Formats: sequence, structure tokens, C-alpha cells
Amino acid sequence: MKLLVTSATSTLGKQVSSELTERHDLRLTDRAIEPLTVQHYYSPQEHDASTNLLVRGLDGIVVVGERLEGESAPSYLDSMTRKLYNLLMAAYQEDVTRIIYLSTLQLMEAYGPEYVVTERWRPRPTPEPSLLGKHLGEYVCREFAREHKLTVVVLRLGKVVAATDVASQSLDPTWLDQKDLAAAIEGALNAELSPWTVIHVQGKQKDARFPVGDAEKLIGFAPTIDFSVPAHAH
Amino acid sequence: MFFPSWTKKYDLLVTDIKRPPNQFRGEFRFVDVANGEQVMDAAEGMDAIINLSVLRHDRKIAFDVNALGCYNMMEAAVKHGIKRIINTGPHFTIAGSTYEEFDYEINPDVPPHPGTLLYALSKSVGHEICRVYAENYDLHVQMYLYYNFRDPENLEREREVRPFAISWQNGAEVFPYGLEIPLEKLPSRFETFFVFTDMPHGRFTNEKVKRVLGWQPRDDVSAIWKRN
Repeated sequence: MKLLVTSATSTLGKQVSSELTERHDLRLTDRAIEPLTVQHYYSPQEHDASTNLLVRGLDGIVVVGERLEGESAPSYLDSMTRKLYNLLMAAYQEDVTRIIYLSTLQLMEAYGPEYVVTERWRPRPTPEPSLLGKHLGEYVCREFAREHKLTVVVLRLGKVVAATDVASQSLDPTWLDQKDLAAAIEGALNAELSPWTVIHVQGKQKDARFPVGDAEKLIGFAPTIDFSVPAHAH
Repeated sequence: MFFPSWTKKYDLLVTDIKRPPNQFRGEFRFVDVANGEQVMDAAEGMDAIINLSVLRHDRKIAFDVNALGCYNMMEAAVKHGIKRIINTGPHFTIAGSTYEEFDYEINPDVPPHPGTLLYALSKSVGHEICRVYAENYDLHVQMYLYYNFRDPENLEREREVRPFAISWQNGAEVFPYGLEIPLEKLPSRFETFFVFTDMPHGRFTNEKVKRVLGWQPRDDVSAIWKRN
């Protein structure tokens, strides 16, 4: 598939693109010119022809939506509302039908740890800009899906890691291996889904706070790394 | 812009990017609501903030004013301990075409469906920002949602009011209720109201603004939907 990956110079963007690049024709983009170590298209995602050209001919867009290093709160919120609106409207105009929006399970952490929190529960963001931005991005995406302009799959992710890198660290209950993330994106690109689908995605954990039953059922998610098992990296 | 007589009860700091054309009792300051520093400075020492700002057509300015303007306002409210905030917008901030074209008795407590119309969605993002702040901080936000404003002296009867209307004067009369109501009497820290006069069509309901705030509609624009 021909895919656009946004925030391509961010850590998450690089994790996503490194895993998808073998199977897909990727177009990488970011709102910043730097760093030049990642070959990408600079796009300010303004309301002009350049945003349409950015998405023209694509099969889908993976909206990574990360905050730039040192970026102010208003600038980031602007990127997750107005600039995302520009991108999605351009996608609609250019017949790009599938959007994979990478959100975060942190939106659900205000619920007490005693609960099993599923996709049916209402997000509870704080005004912390990185979290509020992710939430507002979901808010904007949802309206495009509601009007059947686009099919949007929101993947609310746990903390994305490379399992080998965290082998000696104490367990984070929401760890998600980057290869398993790639598999989730793959599933979300190919599954037959309604215009608006929210899916929680994290690694295998016993008695998980954010179970992945919907991910298994809807996009065939089958995490390979079981972080509950000691020496999970092996 | 006009200043109804009730404004004389309050010490006003009026802000805008243009000077108001008529006289009022109070201070005026040039403030762009999209400028966080200007909003922060203007809010210092205030007991309440009323946000009437709006921009409808240009994507950049619409989101700057309608969405980031709310963020700037809420940041200023938190910083200065201002617990009473009144924000405004059109009905489709929450009730876009997926409600308006299908349903009746639409009340202001429905989950937002703004749709992708620029004006509606940018205002709705601002609405959601206000809601998140009210959920996380000890402050109260009242959202007043309007649509058509008419002058009783010039009703323009040939233009149907979709979906609802109010006179300019009557629309402004809700604010003192919102400024005076004890905050603990509001049902929650985030309350939304449709503000329009009594209309027979049953498409939307203004019951809540009358019940909670005690505001009363005037019968001054109903000739628009009555036969000659």
C-alpha cells in the first residue's frame, strides 16, 4: 500500500516507519524540516494545494501526531486540530479513504487502576498539552468518520518499546512492542471496519487494565511478546 | 456591538481587535483572543470571563479564535483563579446536521455532533477544551449556544430562521443570570444551554436555560413564523 506517515521524525514515527517500510510504499512527512537524518517531506499542513499533493495517490495515512521537541502547547494543539483538519479534508478530497490515528491509552488512565477499561469508556484527558492534543485529534477525526467522509481507526497505544531494549527494566503494564504495533497497524489497514473504530492496543499482560479483546477480534491482533513472562525479550 | 443596561452593574474590561463603535461604562483594551499572553494579562483581577469571540470562514483564523481562544481563556482562568466562565457559540457546536436534520426536542445535554463544517467543528473543539478544563479544575463553564439573531424593528420575515432565533436584546439578557447564579446551584461544572425564544416547531428545546438560569424569553420576533 501507499501510505503517508506523519510525525516521521519523532521516536514513534521512526518506530512505525522502520517496521512498515518493507511491506509498504511509505511517504514520510513531518511539520519540521529538521532533523535531516530522516528523509521526509516537510509539510506545514496548511490549507493549500501542498497538503492535497502530500496525500494524493495514497491508500491510507498513519497519523502519528507527536509533539515536536520544544514545541509550545498552542502550536501542538493547533497541529492536532486545525492542521489535522486540513490533512483529513485533503484526504477526503483526494479519495484517501483510510486513516489510522495513533492515540494513547493515557487518555484512559484517570480511571482507577482497579477497573478493566475498554473502548466503550469515555476518554478522560487532562489539560496537559500532549494528552489534550491526542484527545482533540480523536475529536476531529471522529467528525470525519461520522459524516462517512473517511474510515478512521483509532489505535490507543500503550507505551511503545522495543522489547529487547527493556528486558532489564521493571515491567510497565502498558508496554507494546514496536513489531506488535506494526502488526496492529497492518490489521487496521486491512480489516473491514465501520467508519469509526477505537481499539486499545498494548502487549500481552495478565489481568490487563486495558484488555485487547477488541484488537484481537477486529484486526486480528496477536501480540508476540508476553511482557508478563520474565526475560520477555527473549 | 451594543451594551445593554445591565452592563452598568459591572466593571467591564471589554476586549476586541477593534474598538467598539459605541460608548459603555468601563475600560477597553485591544486583545487578540488567539494571543495567549494578551488574554492572560487581560484576565488578571477579573471575577468572570465572557467569551463572545468568533470567526467563521478562514481555517487559520477560525481555529485560532474558536479553539485556541478557548485554550487561552481557560489557561488564564486557571492561572488567575477565575471560577466563572461563560463561553458562546452556535447551536451546531454540539448539534450539527446529524441531529438537526433528523431529530426533534434536541436538548443541550446531547453529546456533541458538530460535523466537519469549519465553523461548527472549530467551535466544538473550543467547547471540548472548556469541558476538559472544567472536569480537571475547580471552575465552572457555562456554554450559551445561539444561532439567528434578529432585530425586532427589522425582522426580515422572508428569511426563515433555521433552526431557532432570538432578538439581540433578549439574547443579551441571559448573561446577568449567568453572572449572578451561585455556582453551586449549577448542576455541574460544565453546563450547556440553547438560548432562543419560545418557538412552536419543537425541533430544539430552550427549557433548560429557563429552568436552570431563570432567564425568560421575550415574544419579540415570533412574527417571523406567523402568517400575516
